[in-house]
Amino acid sequence: MTGPEPTPPAAPARSVRAARAAGLARRSGRLTGRLTVLAAVLGLWQVLSVTGYLRADEFPSMTRTAAALGREFGQVGFWVDLWATVRAWAAGVAIGAGSAVLVGSLLGLNRFAHRSASPVIELFKTVPVVAILPLAILEFGPTLRMRYVLVAFGVFWPLTIQVIYGVRSVDPTVRDTAEALGVRALRRFAVVTLPSAAPFIATGLRVAAATGLILDIVAELIGGGDNGLGLGILTALNAGPAAYPTMYAFIVATGLLGVLLTGAFGLAERRVLHWHESQREHARGPGAVSGG
Amino acid sequence: MGDPTPAAGPAVLAGGRHPATAVPAPSGPPGPSGRAGAGRAVLAGCRRVVAAAGWLWFAIALVAVWWFASADSTSAYFPPLRTIVHRLYELWIVGDAKSQLAPSLEHFAAGYGIAGAGGIALGALLWGVRPLRESTSPLLYFCYVLPAPALLPAVITLFGIDTTMKVAIISFAAVWPTLLNTVDGMRGVDPVKLDTARALGLSPLRTAGSVVLPAALPQIVAGLRNSLQVAIILMVVSEMTASTSGIGYFILTAQQSLAITDMWTGIIVLAVLGSALNLVFVAAERFVLAWHYGARAAEGKRS
Repeated sequence: MTGPEPTPPAAPARSVRAARAAGLARRSGRLTGRLTVLAAVLGLWQVLSVTGYLRADEFPSMTRTAAALGREFGQVGFWVDLWATVRAWAAGVAIGAGSAVLVGSLLGLNRFAHRSASPVIELFKTVPVVAILPLAILEFGPTLRMRYVLVAFGVFWPLTIQVIYGVRSVDPTVRDTAEALGVRALRRFAVVTLPSAAPFIATGLRVAAATGLILDIVAELIGGGDNGLGLGILTALNAGPAAYPTMYAFIVATGLLGVLLTGAFGLAERRVLHWHESQREHARGPGAVSGG
Repeated sequence: MGDPTPAAGPAVLAGGRHPATAVPAPSGPPGPSGRAGAGRAVLAGCRRVVAAAGWLWFAIALVAVWWFASADSTSAYFPPLRTIVHRLYELWIVGDAKSQLAPSLEHFAAGYGIAGAGGIALGALLWGVRPLRESTSPLLYFCYVLPAPALLPAVITLFGIDTTMKVAIISFAAVWPTLLNTVDGMRGVDPVKLDTARALGLSPLRTAGSVVLPAALPQIVAGLRNSLQVAIILMVVSEMTASTSGIGYFILTAQQSLAITDMWTGIIVLAVLGSALNLVFVAAERFVLAWHYGARAAEGKRS
């Protein structure tokens, strides 16, 4: 959260220990603050419901929503829905990202190719992806395929741009050195180009993970299908006010899935790229106070 | 700030912008003077024409491929491009389908305006009150990561299907990228500058206006750019889910009534609309940031 604290150079062992203690105290203070805010928000929600400010047939109370969430966790149907959403998301992101890395690398290697194609890809990037949803629904019907096609299409354009920039960012000296040393093209790509493009690709992937989930939920809500968290929300909506707690439970579950997927990608990015300079801030961290 | 390393931005948001357009390269002191300047301008002009030709040929080739490949198409879902263009002219140029654009743009403008202004204001507030920022950050992150379309059914039960619902969902969804980027950008302000402002006895409002805001501007703009994408998506999705007008409604009804050519015209119009909104944003961004870097360059000269 904060940069390294400036510590006096004298008595390093003690100042380090003191800084650690201070860091620990600050972190526990922060945790208490966060829990308090969470409790306050949930409490306020409950109070507004109980006092009738939020009408029960429009916005269920916190306790009823929490109970519905607990109930859903214990039901097979919920996990089937969750699994369907994760599957459509994963297939879409995998296809979209795979083709983006392939196409982006090929375009990035050739100046003329990337000059010709980049603006067109940039243009496609600005097209609202949901525009092609009706087409996907026509072509594939309310299926899992329709959903991952939309996800893949939406993930592809921004990620391709990202990959092109990554591949183009290779230090020319390093590339020429590798060439002079007689490293063959394929190996050069794996050893020189890919690692230096990795941070760009990782950032693109993290964004793609979030975009992909949004697009799958949209595809579920508008295109329909058999199972999915979005469909769970829709089913509960159509069941009327009695099922609204379930609807909000599904919404919260969707949010938690978003936290999980985005968090996983962020973590993977940090793990895989720990050697890269863009990640050194994280590596240093507030606890490890270094002399300089 | 101008460092194109992709992960240099805020931990959660860096990637919505790609390195080339995230922060335009600081342009030098404006107005090259003399003959050399004129020559350079001509050269730059030539280069621009060549560059345009360099990519235009590809775009034109793609459209040509579409045109000829679809010319004899009998597929129900992929009519000939010629038919689509003809229908596009009938419906959107001479016809009255363009009236569908007004409600869409109204909802978008209101929602995005609220999200942008609210995001900057709330972000500044959170930056100013550190305990509040630290204790609310998990909650804000949850709201940011929650796929906003999942909220649509809930918003419909609360606000019905009219304008309020659309503005509400667009602004709720689009506020987070701007808010989080504003906080992050303001946190990046050089502490020395803040101390100087305090030592000079500047009022907090003055400090915010003349020290914090300019320094955080590039990142705030990056946040606004992410918010723009979110706002456009929700403009369309909210019209597809529950509406009686708008471009999203037009496309989905055309699809449901199997008026495939009409649907294609809607898709093309929406694509153009999305690109146009982005272009307007980029133009505004250039304008604002050119002023920003111009001011910086002048400052550097004076000292």
